[in-house]
Amino acid sequence: MSDLLQLVWSGLALGAVYGLVALGFVAIFSVREIVNLAQGEYASLAGLSAISAVAAGVPLLFAVVVVVPFVVAVSVAVERVAVRPVRHMTPLVSIILTLGISTALKAAMLLFWGPEAKALPAFPGKDFVFAGVSVRSQELWILGVAAVVSYAVVAFYEHTTAGKALRACAEQPIAARLLGISPRTATMVAFAIAGFTGAVAGVVGSPIYLSSWSSGLTLGLKGFVAATLGGLVSFRVAMLGGLLLGVLESLAAGYGATGYRDAVAFVVLLLVLLVRPQGLALKATGVRV
Amino acid sequence: MTRNVRSATTVVAIIAVALAAAGCAESAGSGGATSSGSASGDIKIGAVLDITGAGASLGVPERQALEMLAAQVNSGGGVNGRKINLLIEDDQSTEAGAAKAASKLLSTDNVDLLLGASRTGPSLAMRPLAEAAKKPMISLAANQKIVEGSKWVFKTAQNDRVVIERLVGDMKANGYKNIAIARDASGFGEGIPEMLTEVGKDAGIKVVKVEKFAPDATDFTAQMVNIRAAKPDATLIWGIPPAASLAQVAYKQLGIKAPVYQSHGIGNQVFLDAAGASANGLRAALGKMLVADQLAGNDPQKPVVAKFISDYKAKYGQNPSTFAGHAYDGFTIAIASLKKAGTDPNKLRDALESTSSSPGVSGVFTMTPTDHSGLTKEALVMVTVENGKWKVLDGPK
Repeated sequence: MSDLLQLVWSGLALGAVYGLVALGFVAIFSVREIVNLAQGEYASLAGLSAISAVAAGVPLLFAVVVVVPFVVAVSVAVERVAVRPVRHMTPLVSIILTLGISTALKAAMLLFWGPEAKALPAFPGKDFVFAGVSVRSQELWILGVAAVVSYAVVAFYEHTTAGKALRACAEQPIAARLLGISPRTATMVAFAIAGFTGAVAGVVGSPIYLSSWSSGLTLGLKGFVAATLGGLVSFRVAMLGGLLLGVLESLAAGYGATGYRDAVAFVVLLLVLLVRPQGLALKATGVRV
Repeated sequence: MTRNVRSATTVVAIIAVALAAAGCAESAGSGGATSSGSASGDIKIGAVLDITGAGASLGVPERQALEMLAAQVNSGGGVNGRKINLLIEDDQSTEAGAAKAASKLLSTDNVDLLLGASRTGPSLAMRPLAEAAKKPMISLAANQKIVEGSKWVFKTAQNDRVVIERLVGDMKANGYKNIAIARDASGFGEGIPEMLTEVGKDAGIKVVKVEKFAPDATDFTAQMVNIRAAKPDATLIWGIPPAASLAQVAYKQLGIKAPVYQSHGIGNQVFLDAAGASANGLRAALGKMLVADQLAGNDPQKPVVAKFISDYKAKYGQNPSTFAGHAYDGFTIAIASLKKAGTDPNKLRDALESTSSSPGVSGVFTMTPTDHSGLTKEALVMVTVENGKWKVLDGPK
């Protein structure tokens, strides 16, 4: 029994990281139909930057606080440089564009930080054992931060005027414009939020799951799968999907073979695409992914 | 380093530089094949290493060691007046990448000798290519299968068999009988449980549980939970960092009390950095370089190891890992044989095979027609970790 709980617990922590990355996909897609494949790279970039900052003597929590806005700035820059100049953006064009950005970011990270995976020191706290389950304090940080961030993002998009304006851009772009909502600003804000959730995922996950120039790819794919569970537009389902994916992976590794771990996400993706391509919760968006 | 990258312009500049550099890397080393296989001109040595991907913690120091040594040989006048032209390819830690890189080096660049790969899987992928091309190859990886029955392939890392013999000796002395294994799912961990069962039979050692992990895995809770349930006397973790470190950390975090043995795949600072305090008390059979300061004064390896460490430290500002040592051994054995026999593939191969009592970083090498690995278990010492530092448990027996 405690084995099962242990597997579920470690799966939840892993899943929360996927969920944070998934929020970034949704943050952008629900404003404009752009799939940002560089989402996972934000996490590696944040993790690696924080590791360098700590190595340079910056206190851990301060480094984390500095690194997140830096990655937000990178994400906004990505929007300025690659997304804004494109006149007729379609999901397909956005995938090709952001795949290019993702490759360039990866190459830059490989040059800056070299190929080795590194870990950020764990956040303050003590590990303990509860009901036979070994709990790492970092896992509590991950789950706590994920809960706060997802609550804040949902609150922003659904309960503030600015957030509602963002969603209006996606649903009725012309009407939104007539009402004085600038799609440009909206897209920029969406990229900033995506950079934020990606960066947070990177810094809270790094002590356990490490950061390397290439780790963003898998993380991005898992986050994308979680986001498709919510049809790429539901924050709640995306976060829950991330958690579910993490737990499924952990159980598959524990009771099946560890080689199956990475297959889980793709089996889930296939099932979603075959059975409910519009996501588990929502109306069809008409987009095939 | 990162925080001055603020404006979009800088980011674009970096990306442009990155792309340009990637382009250069692509074209470097693909220069046309000239003066290949001839008795004069440059000697071409091709190296296939795990520079990116799961084996990066091995491949990077190996590349640094090779570049340093090639520069040393060339500034000292080369080999019999011929310069060494070192061509390094990244196999991205994959079998396919290694095969591709090796066939490019063999057919396009026409190298005289192949070094690599860093790990077992990619090395096994290169072996048939070297054999078909009838060119000598020196692998830097561990698994005995790389050289077994091969005419052309040699290797410099200690055989996993001698490591297991050493570990079994220690398990026996401590009375551990039921052993659980968490092993790398790639070539490096292949066959380890079977070998432990076979070598440990006389000592009454039984393998009670085998768990596998991908070389780039980051969460080991699942494997360690299963090992905890098997209640072993001791656990053998067989992998390379960072996976081996993370497995060690997860093991301790789950509060498993049974002692941990680790393989010779952990011989670098990266392992200790990533494992932190969890590494304290583990036992492993490692090459002597990591404990160079604790070696006896009359040890034949001592001067070789001391010079390598001081050269490497002067150039790169850090201590070399055992993997850099494997690269050192491969390269120096190759150079010694090239000096004796030149670049004729058959003569070069014979010279490699007649390497005898040659002290290197990983041990004293004696190759024979039946042993292309050249090391015995005397090349290893049992070490433990105390306060984040390697410490010798016993002298070589």
